[in-house]
Amino acid sequence: MEEYREEELVLPADPMVLNMGPSHPAMHGTVRCVLRLDGEQVVDCDVQIGYLHRGFEKECEGGTWTEVFPYTDRLNYASPLLNNIGYALAVEKLLGITVPPRCQYLRVILGEVARICDHCVCNAAMAMELGAFTVFLYLVKAREWLFELLEEVTGARVTHSFCRIGGLRHDLPEGFGERLREALGKTLAAVEDCEKLLLRNRIFMDRTMEVGAISAERALAYGWTGPCLRSTGVAYDVRKIHPYLVYDQLEFDVPVGSRGDNYDRFVVRLEEIRQSARIIDQALRQLPGGPIAVPDDLGVILPDKLQTYTTIERTIQHFKIVTEGIQVPAGEVYSYTEAANGELGFYIVSTGGGRPHKCRVRPPCFANLQALPELVRGRLLPDIIPTFGSINMIGGECDR
Amino acid sequence: MRKLTIDGREIEVAEGTTVIAAARALGIEIPHFCWHPELSVAANCRMCLVEVEQQPKLQPSCQLEAADGMVVRTDTPRVREARRAMMEYLLLNHPVDCPICDQAGECKLQDYYMLYDLRASRLWSEEGKVRKRKRAVFGPHVVYDAERCVMCTRCVRFCAEVVRDPVLIEVHRGDHSEIAVAPGRTLDHAYSLMTAHVCPVGALTSRDFRFQCRVWFLASTPTICPGCATGCNAFLDHHRGEAFRLRPRENPAINRSWLCDDGVLAFRLHNDHRLIVPEVGRGDEARPVAWDEALAEAAALLRKVPRNQRAAVLSAEHSCEENWALAAFAREALGVERFFVTGRAAGAADELLRHADKNPNRAGVRWMLGAEPEPLERLADEATAGAIRGVLALGSAAAVPGPAAAAGLLRLEALVAIAPRRGPLPEVAHVRLPSPSFAEAAGTYVNARGWAQEFPRAMPPRGEALEVPELLARLARRLDLALPFRSAAEVRAAVAPRLPQPGAEGGAR
Repeated sequence: MEEYREEELVLPADPMVLNMGPSHPAMHGTVRCVLRLDGEQVVDCDVQIGYLHRGFEKECEGGTWTEVFPYTDRLNYASPLLNNIGYALAVEKLLGITVPPRCQYLRVILGEVARICDHCVCNAAMAMELGAFTVFLYLVKAREWLFELLEEVTGARVTHSFCRIGGLRHDLPEGFGERLREALGKTLAAVEDCEKLLLRNRIFMDRTMEVGAISAERALAYGWTGPCLRSTGVAYDVRKIHPYLVYDQLEFDVPVGSRGDNYDRFVVRLEEIRQSARIIDQALRQLPGGPIAVPDDLGVILPDKLQTYTTIERTIQHFKIVTEGIQVPAGEVYSYTEAANGELGFYIVSTGGGRPHKCRVRPPCFANLQALPELVRGRLLPDIIPTFGSINMIGGECDR
Repeated sequence: MRKLTIDGREIEVAEGTTVIAAARALGIEIPHFCWHPELSVAANCRMCLVEVEQQPKLQPSCQLEAADGMVVRTDTPRVREARRAMMEYLLLNHPVDCPICDQAGECKLQDYYMLYDLRASRLWSEEGKVRKRKRAVFGPHVVYDAERCVMCTRCVRFCAEVVRDPVLIEVHRGDHSEIAVAPGRTLDHAYSLMTAHVCPVGALTSRDFRFQCRVWFLASTPTICPGCATGCNAFLDHHRGEAFRLRPRENPAINRSWLCDDGVLAFRLHNDHRLIVPEVGRGDEARPVAWDEALAEAAALLRKVPRNQRAAVLSAEHSCEENWALAAFAREALGVERFFVTGRAAGAADELLRHADKNPNRAGVRWMLGAEPEPLERLADEATAGAIRGVLALGSAAAVPGPAAAAGLLRLEALVAIAPRRGPLPEVAHVRLPSPSFAEAAGTYVNARGWAQEFPRAMPPRGEALEVPELLARLARRLDLALPFRSAAEVRAAVAPRLPQPGAEGGAR
């Protein structure tokens, strides 16, 4: 056997290449980071996406305008209702219709519930990956209370497909407001517990503060939006700057950070949960009566069932909407809303007729994720975990 | 010429042109039920009312002749309100039938309701609706539902004016009026399915197509009717490899807007009695085999026959491309000098569309061969006499009169048939090789007037059927013979210059 003499061994001078993902416990969302490591230090990080590409935009062209809703559920699947709402608003903009006030309020309420769920999951996962399993359990349990309520309204825990172009599928069930207030109270208590457990926790602070930091200028240059951008101190929130639905009639603050690091992103999300609860509370109090969809005579919503079964007029309408789809006039429109990860944009093109000609999505986490190499370059390998977690890349949305 | 303005756009039209036709020339579609460009004007549906300057009342644009300086508006609040009111009347007694109606999806009542009405019913009880006959059988191909009828009388005018057989009439008055067959008659002329075709609603429906397929599932491919030598232009409506109907495709020079009943039903040539796997053996010995075995058998049989005793049969049912490929292969690879032609037997003819020759491409076979092929009877004679012993044949039908002639074909030592369907000729063959139907391969037909018309492929070949050029290429490999073409594109390129050119002798236009 050959003998090695220690002084003759040469340490490798080239950086080591390490594939992190696409199937790595901490790379939730099926994404691959090809890392070049100098010891434990990250020299470079090449983010490779697309493992969850389903051809969303092409699929949309094969269905009617209404049949796109189930696909939107599967964009950011942590908050499907916000995608539903974003798509519905885009088509309604092209149609030139506005939904009745009650529907607008219901969309705000359900959308904010979805936002709370999304932020809970993001922060829960990030905390767990840093070892705080208790926080994970607290927040996921809070999400469970809200999922139960969403299930009560929409019939599904995740894939709601609850919006309709021109309205909603159902009204709220009896006593929903009280149950939602109760669940929100418990959720806010859980949020407070998490803050107590983590925000002054030495380990958590060391792992997140100054880690994954980015300046406001660089964040804007990358096209960041949502909680990630706000953590850098830019108070850009579509709900405030370009209000849609009834957000201009509701009071809420836009929490911002200052350093743009993992800690700030975590705190901004927790604070946004409070603001969403505030919005829901006001919306429930202001909630007007009335219809939850535009009138049948516009020909965009499925007509009343009794009339559909008994009169030829509404039978025809039902028939044509189902078989040919809603007739959307030719044109193109970009419509954007504040989804849980930031500005969710739908750029849709109609050439007239019952099917979208093009349905392009601007996924907020696609823009956010492209800054990841810059955030982790020069840091240690384990820093990728909380940084990736706080960006909240959702495969369904990013890869489409 | 008359110069008028419609919706702010000027147009000049010939004297006698109606406003609805002038608008159509501008691309403005005025809704209508009773008007049809090929039929006389009835002006009874009142759906096409338009506003004309200096005329106090709305005018039916289908009846109104264009005049100099006329200013027409087709989309004003008054016009829209009139259309809405008309739709309300038309739907007043209409049954809630869309879910069980064949017309649903291509129904003008549905289309116009969505475009011009969209209001709820003001009649709250089904009991109040006038009830009429639901399933009156008008003839062998057509059934009538009086409740769905809007009394536009298109069918009545079609029978009287186009077919010149006024078999349909209007009976009763007001909301009790309906269409009926003249006493003692049935709707059994050769164009009865066109009455269902011109019906803008679901009142007259085809008994053949009834409940077969929802129309929005159907894909449409332009085609040429394979039913006779007239070469009517048509659409083939199909879904998942099955054909459901032929619909007329407008061609003013050949079939205008019509097809005969046999033409509409010619889609069955694609569906029925198909040969979809290669077969070997006659009668009781027939068995399906793999392509390799079938081709080996065909090659062995053809090889046994000396070149001067071989012949080929072309088919008047098949396209120029298929016939040219077979003729070229037979002549250059097999050394065949005698060519015969097969096809469906002659049938009824009339002055409107139907041609006595029930094959779409008899003229094309002549153009492809460059000579007149011999009739099939002579092949039977030669076979009986022993002068021809081996035949490569295309086509399913064989118009062989008499049992003696049929016995002649049975005497052949090698009969290899390339055919899309079962029929008299493949039945007596030693080897049957499946080929595409008229819908499964692109091609060209030359009609009786010498007009070459191309048509695209609607769907891929069914089962194991192979397109004729590919099939011949495989056979050539088995026989170790050189193929005179290398691809389907080369076949097309070879066929094109052989087709009758517009203006050439025997090729009018």
